Amino acid sequence: MTLGEFEDMMDSCVRCSKCKFIPQLVIQSKRFSSICPSIDYYNFHAYSGGGRMITANAYHKGRVELTPEMLDVIYRCTNCGGCEVSCKWVYELEPNEAIHEIRVAAVEAGAGPMPKHKKYIELVERNKNPYGEDPEKRPAWLTDEITTNESSSTLYFVGCTASYRREEIAFATAKILNSAGEDFRLMGSDEMCCGSPVYRVGDQKKALEIMQANIEQFKETGIEKIITSCSGCYNMLKVEYPRFVKHDIEVIHTSQLIEGFLNEGKIKLNEMVPMKVTYHDPCHLGRMAEPYEKWEGEKIEVLSQVFIYDPPKPDRRGANGVYDAPRNVLKQIPGVELVEMERIREYSYCCGAGGGCKSAYPDFALWAANERLEEAESTGASTLVSACPFCGTNFRDGIESRESSMKYFDLTELVLRSIGGGK
Amino acid sequence: MLEKNVYESFMKIVGERNISQDPAVMDSYAFQWCNEIESAQRGDEPQRFGVRPLAVVLPASTEEVQSIVKACNEHKVTFKAFCTGMGPWAGVSDPRAIQIDLRRMNRIIEIDEKNMYAVIEPYVINAELQSELFPYGLMHHAQGAGPQTSPLASHTSFVGPGFTSPYTGFSGRNVLGVEWVLPDGEILRLGSFDHNGKWFTGDGPGISLRGVMRGWLGAYGGLGVFTKAAIRLFSWPAPKDWKWKTSGTIPEYNWDIPPFWKMFVLNFEEWEEYKAAMYELSDREVTMVATTSAPEGLAALFTNTKQEAIETIFAGLLAKTRNYIVMLVAAHTRREFEFRTKLVRLIMEKYGGNDLIEEGVTVPKPMHYGETVRNMLGGHAFRFSNCFQSTHGGMDTIAMAVRLAQLNQTVKQKYIDKGVIGDDRGLGVWITSYESGHMAHMETPTVYDPTSVESCLGYAAYQDECNQMDLDEALGMPFFIVGDDVHNFYAERTMHYADWIRKIKAAFDPNGVSDPSHYVKGDRKK
Ligand SMILES: Cc1cc2nc3c(=O)[nH]c(=O)nc-3n(C[C@H](O)[C@H](O)[C@@H](O)COP(=O)(O)OP(=O)(O)OC[C@H]3O[C@@H](n4cnc5c(N)ncnc54)[C@H](O)[C@@H]3O)c2cc1C
Ligand code: SF4
Ligand code: SF4
Repeated sequence: MTLGEFEDMMDSCVRCSKCKFIPQLVIQSKRFSSICPSIDYYNFHAYSGGGRMITANAYHKGRVELTPEMLDVIYRCTNCGGCEVSCKWVYELEPNEAIHEIRVAAVEAGAGPMPKHKKYIELVERNKNPYGEDPEKRPAWLTDEITTNESSSTLYFVGCTASYRREEIAFATAKILNSAGEDFRLMGSDEMCCGSPVYRVGDQKKALEIMQANIEQFKETGIEKIITSCSGCYNMLKVEYPRFVKHDIEVIHTSQLIEGFLNEGKIKLNEMVPMKVTYHDPCHLGRMAEPYEKWEGEKIEVLSQVFIYDPPKPDRRGANGVYDAPRNVLKQIPGVELVEMERIREYSYCCGAGGGCKSAYPDFALWAANERLEEAESTGASTLVSACPFCGTNFRDGIESRESSMKYFDLTELVLRSIGGGK
Repeated sequence: MLEKNVYESFMKIVGERNISQDPAVMDSYAFQWCNEIESAQRGDEPQRFGVRPLAVVLPASTEEVQSIVKACNEHKVTFKAFCTGMGPWAGVSDPRAIQIDLRRMNRIIEIDEKNMYAVIEPYVINAELQSELFPYGLMHHAQGAGPQTSPLASHTSFVGPGFTSPYTGFSGRNVLGVEWVLPDGEILRLGSFDHNGKWFTGDGPGISLRGVMRGWLGAYGGLGVFTKAAIRLFSWPAPKDWKWKTSGTIPEYNWDIPPFWKMFVLNFEEWEEYKAAMYELSDREVTMVATTSAPEGLAALFTNTKQEAIETIFAGLLAKTRNYIVMLVAAHTRREFEFRTKLVRLIMEKYGGNDLIEEGVTVPKPMHYGETVRNMLGGHAFRFSNCFQSTHGGMDTIAMAVRLAQLNQTVKQKYIDKGVIGDDRGLGVWITSYESGHMAHMETPTVYDPTSVESCLGYAAYQDECNQMDLDEALGMPFFIVGDDVHNFYAERTMHYADWIRKIKAAFDPNGVSDPSHYVKGDRKK
């Protein structure tokens, strides 16, 4: 889709502000009523989902130019999709899609992405990861304790953050796979960034090159199934890749994998892990994880000026994200007590790191993490658990900055402890 | 662009972070639902972008608002404040205007449980206030615009019917006090928001400034800025330990219905029976909700998607639905519940009605009970089409609401036949009774195509004809009137009230800096 194709949709915004809040029925308190970290931090209407759609529309209609402030509007957004869930309660609008398209347009016009983004895109191209780390060191987390099978058709796609910044997650995941007796291989130093940081800031051309190269590599090595630690990688491989590059590789996230192991009795959670935890739904594993289903059909006027789609268009409202798998796993860990935050599942509050914000706007990313941490703390839990190394990094930064007594763990770390493999 | 020194004077007040003049940011304030009708009337392409403010400021306190207003007076810049800013009346009309976005003023200052009022700032939204009131066993009146809009905006400045109106009334009646930055920058505190904050009336000693401040319609931001409001609260008919609890995943949420609640959809073959039943149901104070819409509207009320609503229509809902009242009996105790439900049935039988829920024609799920009391049902109307607007309607007796609905049908049908507005067989209305009495609100939501000049102009012509009918048929006053022209139109036959509000406007706003937009300008009518 292009901005032009979204014009009718953008014209239809009611400027109702529903996209600033979680769906209205699920609001339980004033403190945790919001869904959009960006409007919460910046306050001008332009920094909400609807506001961004209006500015995108204004740009498309030639009313405004890509001024530095307009670029702020475009990029100081985590692309978390929260606005879209709330909007779709009533309307058939897709503000988050419009946000993506205005980013693409900004890149095409030579104004975007932001300098920090350009820098990490260069690093991705040069070093295969946005951190600029040595590709040879990608599998540095791998120890002799771990067995891999390089002829396996199952790939553990470690992802850049688990490889270089949250190695404990990569380690825990590999150990769990070994315990379950599940064969898997790694790409090692050949593993390339999934392209998420490039795609999310609108550099569609380069993102597409990465997608194509990755799929080609997977096909060459006979990969039939990919396991991801990172919700961003999961979202790219499962949801975004098929929009641009055809593939029939099964993509699953570690939380789903572990749930499957437990159901099949492949692993046993024997060790007590006594802690009260609350779970953060990563946006890209939750509301953004619904695959796009291609729809072909026609728009029919069933009542005067009321149109429906024939056949019905598949709804993408955030209902079918991966919400239950991580919770089902947590609930089975002996000693773990799960308490929920007010904003969960499709109306979870973003950690603040996504959409290129962690690198370009660290103050905003950290602020959003602290907002979420305050909610986590309000549950009385001692530990925040999630299932994404990138969210984890931002939360750990938040915990440090607010000197919180809260601990953060990835789901895999707790599972590893409970199967007796961790401290 | 504002002159550099003027911009800087505003920046000094709110800080660099809280002011902008970027065209794209400004456009997110210029864009409003229904602006396309006005642009089509001007002979332009219909579009939602209206007048762009020269700057937007985000004050954090009354003092900052006051300084902004004083600076506006000094530099001859017009201003317009809003809370969430939903609707064309929230936008500016003067090309040399700034927008005061009150988003950063969002505290609930006080909940007085015993005296049953709350003091709030502008950007507390209905859903938030409601959530914080439940633990006290209290609720407030929320306008039908939705849970994401501001009760302060409605109570101080803009009409105010809502879905719980039979129980909680009308915003203008529920405002007990305000802190008000007048157009010249002076601060005035009215009613219960006095210095010890414990009054119980919206008026205070002497003449009632509440009438000056908003009257029936509200000044739509054309008379300064309200920075705090004390609003009346009502008893929430649920046990104190009951919690607003939802579960499930969008769009199928579950909601815990309080113990003594039950919905009815009473259906009457003819308007006459409907009217008699509505009077009696209101008079007996049995219901928290008494809402009427078109049969098509009923299909949208208790479904979660457009597809579902359409399927309900094709399953035969229209054939079984005539003039209906959606009701919610919400009682504190079992005995009260039994009494009320019995009474509802007796009234239904007395006027030959039937209950569409009992007959399975429409089936509200528990979440729809929640949506009803959260004032979310109006939003469902947008599921059919992303665009409708309402005529100016009326706020008068129940009988008058029915008369309006009946007369409106033929007028509307004419425009439906022309193909310029959506076909609801002329039946699209929203009626709700007020305050368990003889009063009712009536408007006629109408679907049109916002991208078509013909449709926008067609809608506008339909609205004008409805206004003319108000006068010709003596249908009472509309529930909202926007702009000088429409005020003039009605004032001819209503003791020239518009001249008086113009005098008030001129006296309170000597420099004419409070952007009137949809209110009145301060000069006398020619
Ligand atoms: C789709 C739709 C449905 C609606 N349904 C209803 C309904 O059912 N019942 C009803 O009563 N109204 C309704 N309205 C009208 C009206 O816009 C809302 O009631 C209004 O109160 C919404 O709150 P808000 O926070 O968005 O107000 P805003 O848009 O922020 O303000 C409404 C008006 O009041 C002025 N204002 C707001 N705050 C202040 C302040 N602090 N000081 C001075 N002036 C101020 C603004 O300038 C504007 O003119 C509806 C509007 C729309 C667009
Ligand atoms: S994007 Fe949707 S929810 Fe947001 S203001 Fe527009 S219509 Fe409302
Ligand atoms: S994607 Fe997230 S951060 Fe961006 S506007 Fe929507 S809700 Fe806000």
